Amino acid sequence: MLLFIKRAATSVLILFLTVSFLFVLVRIAPGDPSQKYLSPNLSPQLIEKVKSSFQLDKPISKQYISFLENAFSGDLGISYKYHRPVSEVISEVLPFTFFFSLSAFTIQFVGGLLLAFWAFHHHKKLLDKFLSSGSIFLYAVPSFVSGVFLIYLFSVQLKLFPSSGVKTVGSLEENFFLLAFDYLHHLFLPVVVLALTGLPVYFKYFRESFEENQQKLYTVYLRANGVSEKRIYLRHIIPNSLNSIIAYAGVDLGILFSGALITEVVFSLPGMGRLAVNAILGRDYPLIVGCTLTAGLLVILTNLIADLIRMKIDKRLVKGLLN
Amino acid sequence: MRNRFSVFNFFLLLLLMTIVSRLQLLVKTGSLLVSYLIFLVTDFTTAVNQFSFGLADCFASLLFLVIIPIVFYAKRKKLRGFKSFSFSSYAAAGIFYVFLFAPIITNSNYNFQKDLSITQLLPPLSSVNVLHLKSNTNDSGQLDKFLSLKKEVVKNSFDEGIVFVDSLRVTETGVDYFQNGLKNHLPLSAFQILEGKPKTSTKLFFLGSDELGRDIFARIIYGTRISISVGLCAVILSLLIGITLGFLAGLSGGIADLLLSRLNDMFLTFPVIFFIILVLAFFGNSFISVIVVLGFSGWMSLFRIVKGEVVSLKNKDYFITANQLGLSGARLLLKEALPVIATPVIVNTVFQFGNVVLSESALSFLGLGVGNEYPSWGAMINSGQEYLSQAWWMILFPGLAIVLTLITINDFGKKIAHYFNPRLHA
Repeated sequence: MLLFIKRAATSVLILFLTVSFLFVLVRIAPGDPSQKYLSPNLSPQLIEKVKSSFQLDKPISKQYISFLENAFSGDLGISYKYHRPVSEVISEVLPFTFFFSLSAFTIQFVGGLLLAFWAFHHHKKLLDKFLSSGSIFLYAVPSFVSGVFLIYLFSVQLKLFPSSGVKTVGSLEENFFLLAFDYLHHLFLPVVVLALTGLPVYFKYFRESFEENQQKLYTVYLRANGVSEKRIYLRHIIPNSLNSIIAYAGVDLGILFSGALITEVVFSLPGMGRLAVNAILGRDYPLIVGCTLTAGLLVILTNLIADLIRMKIDKRLVKGLLN
Repeated sequence: MRNRFSVFNFFLLLLLMTIVSRLQLLVKTGSLLVSYLIFLVTDFTTAVNQFSFGLADCFASLLFLVIIPIVFYAKRKKLRGFKSFSFSSYAAAGIFYVFLFAPIITNSNYNFQKDLSITQLLPPLSSVNVLHLKSNTNDSGQLDKFLSLKKEVVKNSFDEGIVFVDSLRVTETGVDYFQNGLKNHLPLSAFQILEGKPKTSTKLFFLGSDELGRDIFARIIYGTRISISVGLCAVILSLLIGITLGFLAGLSGGIADLLLSRLNDMFLTFPVIFFIILVLAFFGNSFISVIVVLGFSGWMSLFRIVKGEVVSLKNKDYFITANQLGLSGARLLLKEALPVIATPVIVNTVFQFGNVVLSESALSFLGLGVGNEYPSWGAMINSGQEYLSQAWWMILFPGLAIVLTLITINDFGKKIAHYFNPRLHA
């Protein structure tokens, strides 16, 4: 357990270094965010006042120290653009991001597993070949291509799904079910697009590891002992396959949590990715740092959870992982 | 029969098709090259003044067109060993062909815009009537001849000498022509006359045109060049960084190894796309900065591979001997380590190349790509998004180009991995 804490501490240290690096980088980069809020007509005193309200008139080291002091008490500063605390702005987009990325992730993982199972059941037959080449094709389709294509097909031509946003503009629906339906209706295409980007990866992985485990001696032994196929798969092959994919899934889910940027841009959704990029483009320094911190924490968290699950499945890993 | 038709034959077939269909242009390019060489001898300053990237591009394409078949013929015995019949190898040959011969394949500049009311958002395979105006240069001097020839060969992004029209009617006083319902009039003397009538031709928009009346076909062809060259440069950069750092970390161990490995972890776990966007947004995006940022953000997997290989190499006898003989670090890397680690590095580089091509188009899609003066597939899709309901061709063709390129690169990587390690996918 001590080693486990060490591992977590290393991650947090990396995060701390990243955030510090970013904090300095945005401030030494050319350009000044306060310019956007100033007009040449203002008096010099007022200009000074605006600059000092952004705390950009002090040397970077002082800014950094005050940032650290505030950050440890949970205060990440005030967003330049939204004029509200950064933590408040970020916590507004988090529920959407969680729902969006979790649903896409579930489809990727479970869909990949089931499709691989299905393909493996028809080993080297037409369906298997079709699914394999389909996954190679899908793997090469970037999300902005598939997103725009699906919008064209389903929104422009068939008019089945809305092309952007999370809810109908101006709808004052009070009924919970209608509201939920509206959300799901809007999110269907984005979730499909996001799921399609990862589905081939999981499919290919599971397909290959089924193949590999199928030939292993322990499978042969189990089969020779008359253990049912169902039991072989559920109790032996799938748990053995899960091991390294979960490590990948941890990283993958963490990155999804920190924003499925392209998909959010294509469908103009209010997620972490677009928030971060808009902060970057608008030079909203506190929000940039806040988004990085949140994203980093989420990545560390998902990685830790993934490691815990792996250790639960395979006890041998406890030693290996910690070294 | 099938064995005779290798990828190289396919490439030669492509070249043959180019020569047959573009013979006129090739002859003109050839004579332009000859007259430029004459200038280079007789009047050096004019030759230097007339030099441009477009001109060099055309000459290079022509020379490649001559050289490549000769090289293939000379090396035919060696090439016979390389036999591959998969779709991806043909596609790779096609991409390579487009990359080299872009100026010969296209018949208009990728930024050419004229008479927007007629040419914007044309569907694929539509053609537009062109009226040729008389240019007021006289074709007497050698330089004028050269310039008029150059104008025909090197496509400019502007041309005052042509007018796109819907229809025209020749009257006694001159020519009436219609542009999107508007009637215009010019005297007959303003046009180039061919057999007593004003000279007309048609311009084919093979894959349609975009919202600014630019030829999508030309933009896709030149977009191939942008994607491939950004990809190649960035991959070479990350190759250099990854190998150097990986070798350093693997060989020295200790504190350098620890620091570099932690940095590697940092890059691997955090979403690098935000870092890329941040640097591009804050320090400006251009052709060079995109290459540098993508190169710097792609070293992680190479670092890992090189480090792992070097660590295992360090305990091999021959390497210890070489080290104790006092070989310098660079020589150790180049002479002793690189040949051993080449295989996994090459395989990884190919996949990294695919990643960079994808990242470049994604960045262009977000408006942070190589810039508006170059055509990029991602940027084309981005601008096509606005006209989705009117012009599906604006997104379909660039999208197909991206998907085809990525499939080819991925498949190619798999082929190379299989070539080096046949047991991998037995």
